[in-house]
Amino acid sequence: MMGRQVEQTRVVGTSVPRVDALEKVTGAARFTDDLQFGPDLLFGRVVRSPHAHARIVSIDTAAALQMPGVRAIITGADTPGFIGLYLRDRHILATDRVRQVGDPVAGVIASTEQAAEDGARAIRVEYELLPGVFDPFEAVQAGAPLIHPDLGSYDVASFLYPRPGTNISHHFRIRKGDVDGAFGRCDTILEDTYRAPQIQHVPIETHVAIARWEQTGEVTLWSATQSPFAQRSMIAAAMGIEPGNVRVIGNYIGGGFGCKAGVTMEGLAVAMARRVPGRPVKVRLTREEEFFCSFVRQALVAKVKIGATREGKVLALQVEYYWDGGAYTEYGTNITRAAGYSSTGPYFVPSVMTDSYCVYTNNPTGGPMRGFGMPEIHWSIEQVMDRLAEKLGMDRVQFRLLNCIREGQETVSGMTMHATGLSQCIKRVAKDIQWGEKEPPSAPHKLRGKGIAIMWKAPAMPRNAASEAWVVFNEDGTFNLGVGGQELGQGSFTVAAQMAAEVLGVPMDRVRVARPVDTRYSPYEWQTVASRLTWSMGNAVRAAATDARKQILDLVGRCWGETPADLDIRNGEVISYKSERSVGLDKLVICGLSMPGDRELIGGPIMGRGRFMPTYVTDLDKETGQGTHGMVHYTTGAEAVELEVDTATGQVEVLRVAAAFDVGKAINPELVKAQIEGGVVQGMSSGLFEALRLKNGEPLNSSFVDYRIVTTLDAPQEIITAVVETAQDDGPWGARGVGEHTMVPTAPAIANAIYDAIGIRFNEMPLTAEKIYLALAHKA
Amino acid sequence: MATHSITLTVNGAKEQVDVASNWTLLQLLRDRLALTGTKNGCSAGECGACTVLLNGEPVNSCLVLAVEADGANVVTVEGLAHDGQLDPLQQAFIDEGAVQCGFCTPGMLLSARALLTRNPHPSEREIRQALVGNLCRCTGYARIVRAVQKAAG
Amino acid sequence: MLSRPGLPSFDYVRAGSHDEVVRLLVTGGPDVRLLMGGTDLLVRMRDGVVRARTLVDVKHLPGMRTIAYDSAAGLTVGAAVTMNQLASNADVRAHYAILAEAASAVASYQVRNRATLGGNLCNASPAADTAPAVMVLGGRLVLCGPEGEREVPIDEFFLGPGKSARQANEFLTAVRLPPPRQGARGTYLKLGRNREGDLAVVGVGVLGSPSSEVPPGYAFSIALASVAPVPLRATAAERLLAGQKPGGAAFAAAAQLAAQEARPIDDVRSGVAYRRAMVESLTRRGLETVWRGLSAASSGRGR
Ligand SMILES: Cc1cc2nc3c(=O)[nH]c(=O)nc-3n(C[C@H](O)[C@H](O)[C@H](O)COP(=O)(O)OP(=O)(O)OC[C@H]3O[C@@H](n4cnc5c(N)ncnc54)[C@H](O)[C@@H]3O)c2cc1C
Ligand code: FES
Ligand code: FES
Repeated sequence: MMGRQVEQTRVVGTSVPRVDALEKVTGAARFTDDLQFGPDLLFGRVVRSPHAHARIVSIDTAAALQMPGVRAIITGADTPGFIGLYLRDRHILATDRVRQVGDPVAGVIASTEQAAEDGARAIRVEYELLPGVFDPFEAVQAGAPLIHPDLGSYDVASFLYPRPGTNISHHFRIRKGDVDGAFGRCDTILEDTYRAPQIQHVPIETHVAIARWEQTGEVTLWSATQSPFAQRSMIAAAMGIEPGNVRVIGNYIGGGFGCKAGVTMEGLAVAMARRVPGRPVKVRLTREEEFFCSFVRQALVAKVKIGATREGKVLALQVEYYWDGGAYTEYGTNITRAAGYSSTGPYFVPSVMTDSYCVYTNNPTGGPMRGFGMPEIHWSIEQVMDRLAEKLGMDRVQFRLLNCIREGQETVSGMTMHATGLSQCIKRVAKDIQWGEKEPPSAPHKLRGKGIAIMWKAPAMPRNAASEAWVVFNEDGTFNLGVGGQELGQGSFTVAAQMAAEVLGVPMDRVRVARPVDTRYSPYEWQTVASRLTWSMGNAVRAAATDARKQILDLVGRCWGETPADLDIRNGEVISYKSERSVGLDKLVICGLSMPGDRELIGGPIMGRGRFMPTYVTDLDKETGQGTHGMVHYTTGAEAVELEVDTATGQVEVLRVAAAFDVGKAINPELVKAQIEGGVVQGMSSGLFEALRLKNGEPLNSSFVDYRIVTTLDAPQEIITAVVETAQDDGPWGARGVGEHTMVPTAPAIANAIYDAIGIRFNEMPLTAEKIYLALAHKA
Repeated sequence: MATHSITLTVNGAKEQVDVASNWTLLQLLRDRLALTGTKNGCSAGECGACTVLLNGEPVNSCLVLAVEADGANVVTVEGLAHDGQLDPLQQAFIDEGAVQCGFCTPGMLLSARALLTRNPHPSEREIRQALVGNLCRCTGYARIVRAVQKAAG
Repeated sequence: MLSRPGLPSFDYVRAGSHDEVVRLLVTGGPDVRLLMGGTDLLVRMRDGVVRARTLVDVKHLPGMRTIAYDSAAGLTVGAAVTMNQLASNADVRAHYAILAEAASAVASYQVRNRATLGGNLCNASPAADTAPAVMVLGGRLVLCGPEGEREVPIDEFFLGPGKSARQANEFLTAVRLPPPRQGARGTYLKLGRNREGDLAVVGVGVLGSPSSEVPPGYAFSIALASVAPVPLRATAAERLLAGQKPGGAAFAAAAQLAAQEARPIDDVRSGVAYRRAMVESLTRRGLETVWRGLSAASSGRGR
């Protein structure tokens, strides 16, 4: 293990209550749709394509413009610019063609939401249908309909490699070691294909955005977003305006899970508002729209070939990932990359060949979702590892302990693995689930089984993804902590406040997190994604608080004629260990101090500033995917599941889940556990229930009626959580992120447990009761 | 389209409002009375984020017409606390960490409030059954169930 | 077409009398829709599946929300009685437990506070959870129209998805159930994708009672939801049981027949093969459950 010293802490490492809880239980917490704009407010509704692939021939808005309440209508002609995070491949409104069902074609601004809807329904759009392609594997074949003929002309991030003239918007490769030779030395080789469908994030709050253009040309956007700053730059670029003229305000978010990252529907509000200067325009997605008009999780076809020696050492891996990126892959391309550079899963494999393709199809647009490709690839990795262990006659836990990656080993992308508590996590969940012991099922028609899956994930982001924080004081000695990261429910405001309180030596109730995040007044934060806030924003917060602390101690030291090293801040008072003097922060943080004797005033308002950027991250080679420090670090973990299958219905009851993650340092242990519980249940939901059912690109179940998620009664009654702490070099107090990771191993652990129970493997999610029952019937 | 003049009591306060026939109680609360604690997650009776108490019983306010609430007594999340004193459920949600994003929380609280009123000591299964119409995507439900148990004492 | 963000325009009328309702139905024709709990109607109007210019709220009419039990006359349930009212009513629980069970299988607690028995039946969805219970209990629907009241046996009520024997100018005022059969036991088994809260993928209602009319001494009724264009009686299975000694073999054979009688479709909820198989699984489970109750009761009497 790395030689990091354990620091004594008072607030960090304790489970203080959330700073936002009181507001949220009283209904006082303001979410974006809750903001009041008075009678000024206008509403926008969007005309969406009913076709998966078509050319727009004409748009007739005449009748709609005559409708009562309708103020203005926008079409693609109003939004010629391109938008996109990593690859600018879409318009705010489709210009010449639509590429998915739900593609926005026109926007109606009206005095009420209903009038806007009626207006939208009165718009006539004529389409000329184009052949579509709906499977990523088919879309890469020669002769497949080309979805983005202009791919070669799009702006693209330097680390992405689109192939113009094809539907491949990114091809990430790993070429590590001699794969053919390594397979030659394997005693056992397995090949298999796994599939994961599109699913949706299903935040209970749907997307909503309100935009207002001032006469001055400034734009304010209130949006339910994980990414106020990215929205500022992306929307400015797309609309051809200065980023400094765009102000994005992000209130509390009712769940994001990735679909509120980047920009999806928010540009529509801005484009509409341009037509009615001075008036706020609100656009919100209905639940039905939410299912396919923002982001969905990309579908994946994973072809895996893996080989091991008879002693159980994995020597070689060859994978091909075909990601169904959908109509636009501006964000999904980077998922393809992250999946590629993590394609071994948390295992040491000396020889690897990976081809990860991001493929355009006419399905709904894929984007980031909790886990950023990891749940999908671990679905294949963790099942194939189970199969391999079985084939070798090895215990599934022992097999994982034998092959899991350790400190000092080289990762698939050529980085030297840092300290990790992965094997501790594996042992812990095996113990908690009583691995190896088999209880009898609860009824004669039921079968019981246990399964395990492990995981790793690194934050996926550009190298310059930065965080900034500041600390400013009030005259009572309380202070305002400025952060640019969003509170989505994960508890980021609470841990940020804990970190600042720790450094500044004040109780938690002296900290005010400055909210809402407002790009005009808040410090910079790239995006609230990648489970990076505790770590990256945390580093900035720590630096800002440390900066303020230093200013305070310097000031008091100068006044008292002492060295700052003898001073400390305790409970809101600066104290001297040497002279035993003390002074409250309220006496000095705004108005400074007067020197003894001549009573000269020194100091003034204290402001601490901090920032963080992972400047040490290196590029990965285009041909081999190798680099010395291609990602900041990996968080690892394991989950084990015990379940029962009802053979009369195929229903699965998840009895218990044991989960352990190495978070480096739990800034707030209960919040970590809460993340684990939520992730486990979301992972379970994806594994057993969820798929956006698509027929030629058209969603058949875009409502809660037929897109079912786990409810109170489906959720496991018992989730046993364990927190492992192997300090991370580049994290505040050793912390690394854990928000997304918790969902990654659940679905494969369930699949492995189902196999244990009934002896049947399922290569495609979700494992519905129907699928299981029919497989059982087929087997019988 | 006709409008109707209705009177109702919301969180103890008498309100007289004109509402259009097609307005839901949810719209009335959020858009007219600015009681935005009650959330809209689906407009279809599926998610429970809009749950309020109508004459003491939980309903999906997105499926109740505002005019149907004429003469009714409505309690929303804003009306749960009394005299600055949180409802024991609110306190338990804080203490047990049952809140993450908080979007499901108001509806959860009202469903749970109604449960404890009709059944002061519910079993875990009864709690889970009473909350089956309240979707939460963040917590995995365990802490919510525990909070209700705790509030039940 | 995507659902609207809110409800389309309509007028709301709170009906003051039965006559007023009939008059509105006659004059308004298809532009008029009846409203009770609204849990079907409002959802469909937002979805654009149902259009109406006027909603007539009938739930406040006299008798619409009352439950009356009489051991000689049976049970009369006002059409606007809610699912929660049904599920918690002492008479219903004591004498028509299967109906209480079916009512509490509907949706969620909140929805059940609004959803009514009459609305569930009038909606005529094949997935209506209370339909199998009302069918095996031999329910009759009381319809009020220009010529006064008439009763329709539930077995003749459902004509197709969303279609019923109710005339356009009639409305449902009550559901009548005959007096409970002596010693009857019933159960409603519902399989959804979630443990609770989902629509039925398959629903099976089974009622059994001691009977001197059939040779085995026990009569069974079976009705199915969600596996045909209408809620369905499994008559072939019932006939088979009328001629065989109750028990595992007879139940297995009856369950198989019920599965054959079902006419399910493939939809997003489930496929034909699974639905059929689940009719068999649930019917068998239902028969066994009911039989356990009947046997326990008879051995109890014998003691
Ligand atoms: C989230 C959700 C979940 C649901 N889950 C289930 C479920 O699990 N099982 C299930 O069976 N149903 C379910 N439903 C459907 C619905 O709740 C039930 O069918 C309910 O019983 C309908 O009753 P209602 O009073 O709300 O009917 P309404 O919506 O008021 O009316 C239903 C229909 O009947 C007509 N109608 C109303 N009153 C009369 C009358 N007196 N005479 C003639 N016609 C009339 C209406 O015009 C309408 O067409 C669910 C609904 C929702 C929103
Ligand atoms: S908003 Fe009413 S149930 Fe979802
Ligand atoms: S806390 Fe986010 S939905 Fe429940």
